[in-house]
Amino acid sequence: MNIIKRVTITPAGAAIDGYPVPVDGRGMELLTALYRHTAGDYPKFFKMDPLCRLGFVATELLLDGDRRNGCDDRAVILFNRNASIANDRRYQATIPHDSEHFFPSPAVFVYTLPNIVTGEIAIRNRYYGETACYILENNDQTIIEEIVGQAFDADPATTSAVAGWVDFNTEVDFLADIFLALKQ
Amino acid sequence: MEQLVEELKKNIIEVLNLEDLQPDDIDAAAPLFGEGLGLDSIDALELIVMMEKNYGIKIKDPAEGKEIFKSIDAMAEYVAAHRTK
Repeated sequence: MNIIKRVTITPAGAAIDGYPVPVDGRGMELLTALYRHTAGDYPKFFKMDPLCRLGFVATELLLDGDRRNGCDDRAVILFNRNASIANDRRYQATIPHDSEHFFPSPAVFVYTLPNIVTGEIAIRNRYYGETACYILENNDQTIIEEIVGQAFDADPATTSAVAGWVDFNTEVDFLADIFLALKQ
Repeated sequence: MEQLVEELKKNIIEVLNLEDLQPDDIDAAAPLFGEGLGLDSIDALELIVMMEKNYGIKIKDPAEGKEIFKSIDAMAEYVAAHRTK
């Protein structure tokens, strides 16, 4: 496996292959600023939960200048620790204890699964290959690269992968550390 | 009615997270789904919840919903005639 590009995003900023992306903002404001800096024409971004927003802008930075349309040989394999907890909390907050005012939000509910982020990335880029989301204890590059390597070995049709860590706990505690890998 | 149309525009922007839009950007006579605002099926569910939560209107018949959510003007007419709060 050959890793050709890497993107990291923390609440304090973003970097491509270690070079900072010139965008202001922190936390969720940073993600919105990165969206405007990269895509800017994909209003569905604002409907996404925080985990999907993080994965979306990270892949927009990662795939800038790369092929995007109609691939069936590219996998999306992501890993995180907190699953969809940030959005689960938001959804819970739409369910009051008072049953007379029971109006849970359908638009928030649809993001209460961690693998939705892989689907959003696949839809955005029209990738028809494998998608997977694994829950790990930590951002362990050895395990991550081993699993991505297994995906290449298991499916001859897969020749590249968007992969890595996309984890969102709170506005001050999130990390995207993703890479574009080619099969060797 | 004009006030209700403006209120609906603001509510729709808020509940559907249409953050790039201002009320003036929305044509009240334009279709809400397909073209126009380009809303999807999850947005439709969210609008049904909003109608009940804000105006006490329960929409149970899908055919009826199709007419009510044709446009913001259509929603405003229905709300004005059927609201309980």
